[in-house]
Amino acid sequence: MNRFVPSRRGLLRGMLGGSAVFLGLPWLEARATCDTGFPKRFGMFTWGNGNLPDRWTPQGSGVDYTLSEQLMPLAAWQSRMTVCTGLEIKVPNTSPHWSGAVALLTGQELDGDDDSWTVRAPTIDEVIADAIGGDTLYRSVLVGVADAETFSYQGPNAPNFGETSPFALYERLFGSTFREPGKKGVVDPSLGRRRSVLDAVMGDLDRLSSRVSAADRVRLEAHSDAVRDLEQRLARLEEDPPDLAACERPSTPDEDYPDIDGRQQLSAKCRAFADLVAMSLACDQTRVFNISHHRPLSNVLFPGATDGHHNLTHNEGGEQPEVHDATLAVMEELAYLYEALDRIPEGDGSVLDHCMVLACSEISEGRTHRLDEVPFILAGGACGSIGMGRHVRSDGRENVNKAMFSVLTALDLPITSWGAEDTEVTGGWDQLEGA
Amino acid sequence: MMQPRLRPVLLAVLALGCGNDDPVGGTDTDPVVVVPDEPTAVPVQPLLRRLTSAQYAASVVTLLGPAADASVRLEPDVDELGFASVGAGVNAVSALGVERYEDAAAQIADRVVAEGALVDLLACEPTGPADRACADEAIDALGRRAYRRPLEADETAALGDLWQVLAEDHGTETAWRDLITTLLQSPWFLYRVELGDGAGQLTDHEWLTRTSFLLFAAPPDDAMLDRADAGELSDPKDRAAFVDELLDDPRLDAGVRAFVTEWWHLEELQALDKDPLIFGHAHPELGPAALEETLTVVSDIVLGDADFRDVLTTNRSYIDPRLAALYEVPAPALDGFGWTELPRSRPGVLGHASFLALHAHATRTSATDRGLFVRSTLLCQPIPAPPADIDTTIPEPNEDAPTLRDRLAVHLESPSCAGCHALTDPIGFAFEQFDGVGRWRTTEGGATIDPSGELDGTAFADAAELAGVLREEPILLPCWSTSLWHYATGRIEAPLATTDWMAEAWAAEGHALRPLLRELVLSDAFSAVEAP
Repeated sequence: MNRFVPSRRGLLRGMLGGSAVFLGLPWLEARATCDTGFPKRFGMFTWGNGNLPDRWTPQGSGVDYTLSEQLMPLAAWQSRMTVCTGLEIKVPNTSPHWSGAVALLTGQELDGDDDSWTVRAPTIDEVIADAIGGDTLYRSVLVGVADAETFSYQGPNAPNFGETSPFALYERLFGSTFREPGKKGVVDPSLGRRRSVLDAVMGDLDRLSSRVSAADRVRLEAHSDAVRDLEQRLARLEEDPPDLAACERPSTPDEDYPDIDGRQQLSAKCRAFADLVAMSLACDQTRVFNISHHRPLSNVLFPGATDGHHNLTHNEGGEQPEVHDATLAVMEELAYLYEALDRIPEGDGSVLDHCMVLACSEISEGRTHRLDEVPFILAGGACGSIGMGRHVRSDGRENVNKAMFSVLTALDLPITSWGAEDTEVTGGWDQLEGA
Repeated sequence: MMQPRLRPVLLAVLALGCGNDDPVGGTDTDPVVVVPDEPTAVPVQPLLRRLTSAQYAASVVTLLGPAADASVRLEPDVDELGFASVGAGVNAVSALGVERYEDAAAQIADRVVAEGALVDLLACEPTGPADRACADEAIDALGRRAYRRPLEADETAALGDLWQVLAEDHGTETAWRDLITTLLQSPWFLYRVELGDGAGQLTDHEWLTRTSFLLFAAPPDDAMLDRADAGELSDPKDRAAFVDELLDDPRLDAGVRAFVTEWWHLEELQALDKDPLIFGHAHPELGPAALEETLTVVSDIVLGDADFRDVLTTNRSYIDPRLAALYEVPAPALDGFGWTELPRSRPGVLGHASFLALHAHATRTSATDRGLFVRSTLLCQPIPAPPADIDTTIPEPNEDAPTLRDRLAVHLESPSCAGCHALTDPIGFAFEQFDGVGRWRTTEGGATIDPSGELDGTAFADAAELAGVLREEPILLPCWSTSLWHYATGRIEAPLATTDWMAEAWAAEGHALRPLLRELVLSDAFSAVEAP
């Protein structure tokens, strides 16, 4: 079986077999391009601990539908997004939260038990970054608003972490090495020296790699891949930046977002991140982003809440008004992300039009860790690759992997299957792909 | 296999219960203890462990001196079996992690230059780019500290070439700055490389590094590396004498603190999530103060060679005015920390704000969390997570169920819950007389709190009695020995024969931790690696 291996990342990925099986044909990156010439981008927006499914599912389906109570913050975006409901994560729910998170984003069951587990395959953002992230400064940009964990894995035992400080993200993307298009700024003279240093580091990694156990070699290989990416990035920074009309240095976020009443400034942070991510897309610094509002199981204290989010989902009685408020707060941030992407014009449309933004959580009802009715919203549509403005509902608990397959093919990844064993699918979700 | 040894007890005066300033050291009249024979060690495959964030910080200071002590942001540590030190041998670094290594190296090197500390780091100061002999001498000295072993000739040559090119183009100061960033990003610095000597043992330098990180939470310094270079750690007698020196070194305090911090996850106290609207004592400085209290109390017990199990029961504590106010006792010092005696109701670290606040929610207590810590961390009895598909809602406080014990009764009535909650909640109820940040209370919702219960058949009246029961649990020493093994070796596998031997040796040494550390680092099990 041929696998598409765009970089040396093969070792880590190949060990246990990724979820995506690619066609054995050389794949042209130009395929992930809109007719207008703008690249297609993929964005993920995740939050932990689910929703309240009874107050989430819209009324009606197709284009004539009425938004639900929990989706009301997204009302302004109804024609630009498609809400998918009735999907199920089809794995045994052996580890609360983690079973769902792993299967949702890698297509297959986790490896291990509740005490000690890892993924069997890279998460979808990594699979997509491998395919469309190679030409930009960053394969992907990861952000953790409340926690550093973004729920992204390069492969088994290789978790990715997100930037938790908007200011630090600004410094990385738009700091001293950033040059605005068209402006013939001076190339940072330290770039060449940094590359010499990284060359020496690569040499050490290669020599050590030949002397360690097979398992350790896989880990060193991941380390080498990341060093090589960094070297390539420094080389690209010495070239003139792409000439993109909408690209400009954004305003500087606050250096710090101190807690207020013992609570994080989630909204201010999330919005600062959204603005930076949107501009990094417009400047073509990356084509893949992953914003984790808060991670699965996160016990983050929302403003006004009387307990942490995870505790509330289990312990709040009645109709769970505080859990409901937390979901609304997250949806407000998702709406802001759409707005930040849509604010930047690209051609006749906006950055949002050229994105496929997937918003999801690892479970539906938090109290019981339900894996059916999993929240799943697409926006942007990647220049018409998937029709927007709809509510697509499965009445038969459709396998969520089918919807993921549709997302991957909408971004022109030449896959033939997604998932493994019982969860494997070999095609997309017809209802979603039909207009 | 080692011969059984007869040694004087390190400290015979602990029965007197004196302070921490007692001199350590036995005399010929001390009683002798018989340390049991070590079981045959099973060699295991070498393991590459990445430095944890704390070890990285300590390594930077050892390499470059206190001037380099910049607070840098690294990728977060990932725990395995509850230990960052074990996760460090399992997980791969992320792209962000590598970027942060580069960034941190630049910040640290810039700081060394800005502080004018560079010249002190150079064993020889080259007159210019052509002065390679001198540059190589300086590189050898820096490189040895960074890699925790002497450099190979080709390594010195490669680093020297890099330095020379940089020095020719950018001057010697920039070249040294960049050389430091190279060392700080080398896998030989970032990983604790153990390849073995080819004959089933760690090399002397690898053993030294493992021992130094265990005992001092830092890599070996020049003086220690000199001993290994000179072959003075090869002979078992020399090695034992060397370990005795290390165990008397003040840096042991840092090692004990690092172990306890990882074992009990005390680093989470740096950012305690407590609702200040509910807990008047919640304050950003409460967590750090509680951390200092617990670490000092434990370290004092270890350095005083007291029975380590005293950590569960001692009432002697080290608190500042903030903790004194929380505990409702007079502050021992107007400003800063001082020693004091806490009431009997606060047994050892289980009566500290550290345990009580960490194992509670942001707005209230959690009998389950507190019980879970006792079961899983102190008794090594893992409790599975609740089944994924059950409703875990517990009743709101109400007139019929004013206390948490009343409300959690549902846990114990439902068969699918009781299997686990019967193990955790009754332990947690003993601590219900402490609120979510550790303040004493006797009532909840107007009803008197009942802290009594039983631990696996032994009844206790309250938290203090529970601590006394825990102290005598037969599983305690094997459990704690296993935890120490995981931390010391980074290994997921803990050979039962070895950890049982550790527990027996510990008991034979009057339960003092220092002699156990001696046995451990000198054991075959500690050093055995598979030949490649």
